[in-house]
Amino acid sequence: MYDLVIIGGGPGGIAGGVYAARKKLKTALIAESFGGQSITSADIQNWIGTQSISGFDLAKNLENHLRAQRGLEIIDGDLVIKVEKINNGFSVATQQGKILETKTILICSGSRHRKLGILGERELDGKGVAYCSTCDAPLFSDKTVAVIGAGNAGLEAVRDLLSYAEKVYMLVRSEKIKGDPLTFDQIKSDQRVEIIYNAEAKEIFGQQFVTGLAYLDKPSNEMKKLELSGVFIEVGSMPNAEFLGDLVQKTPYSEIIVNAVNQQTSQLGIWAAGDVTMSPYRQNNISAGDAVKAILNIQEYLNGNRS
Amino acid sequence: MAVKEVIIYSTPTCVYCKMAKEFFQKHDVSYQEYNVSTDLEKRGEMFNKSHQMGVPVIDIGGEIFVGFNRPDIEKALGIQR
Repeated sequence: MYDLVIIGGGPGGIAGGVYAARKKLKTALIAESFGGQSITSADIQNWIGTQSISGFDLAKNLENHLRAQRGLEIIDGDLVIKVEKINNGFSVATQQGKILETKTILICSGSRHRKLGILGERELDGKGVAYCSTCDAPLFSDKTVAVIGAGNAGLEAVRDLLSYAEKVYMLVRSEKIKGDPLTFDQIKSDQRVEIIYNAEAKEIFGQQFVTGLAYLDKPSNEMKKLELSGVFIEVGSMPNAEFLGDLVQKTPYSEIIVNAVNQQTSQLGIWAAGDVTMSPYRQNNISAGDAVKAILNIQEYLNGNRS
Repeated sequence: MAVKEVIIYSTPTCVYCKMAKEFFQKHDVSYQEYNVSTDLEKRGEMFNKSHQMGVPVIDIGGEIFVGFNRPDIEKALGIQR
């Protein structure tokens, strides 16, 4: 039986793995891949201690740091599909058919792209509708595109697209840009960017490829249409917590409810950190820090239980 | 087992393309790469095979994969863990 199973290979999971190994907890870490969601970021400038790094290089650094730990079992290229309560702990089942028994669990499974859920989005996915700007922006050379969403991911998508596209509309649901002002400054002065505030995307048009986008202009309550060939959707995230069922309490948005002091969930023996939790601030540094808090608390819990 | 022909359609900035190529290199799988941000003919070929425009598209002996899902690719190449 393991002391601890860590689920996830983003900054939270890696930080947890490094700390758990140093505490000599008998630990297995299960990850589909390493690096977390910011792996697709072209340039990360707020990872503390590093002025500038690509998401890909950050992922490599994280993986290398994890693999340098001794006594840690790493199961990668696999996904957790179910967690169940057993005597003295939990059983963790993976897609590749592994079953691990453990006293405690730290969930750092993060989140995935939220879909808009509007007409045309699914039908035109990969046909002009895109969710990864560093991947797909080069296919929109000299084209007109829209980015939906005004968080950091939305701003970065605009920035990535400006290397290729002829014109970039940015649709903002409210009157406010939620992402970092510094990134916003880099794009707002570009003549090719047109920011449309108070705009709610309603439908994406096209037969074989995207040809247009309809949105509700909220101040006038009128539907308006843009002709374009690409729509990049960056409207937040969905927690990867389905595999837990109702073992832990979640918010109405399916985020895991945690105690912000020690990252404990409602289920004794299970902790959670990072984007899978109710924490409103989705940041690499925060995920890492929260996972560290969790490990220190897990160690205290295991020590108390061992006596 | 006959060696399957492996083709990857990619863009220069796409990290999942990089992950796939690193995976091929690690397992000594030789592959042909086409940069579909500039090669429009191959972009059309990629669309005809996968019916979509997202990268990477990986063709393993005629079996088409959109994105890089390691277990699927391992299976298609017969790579044991």
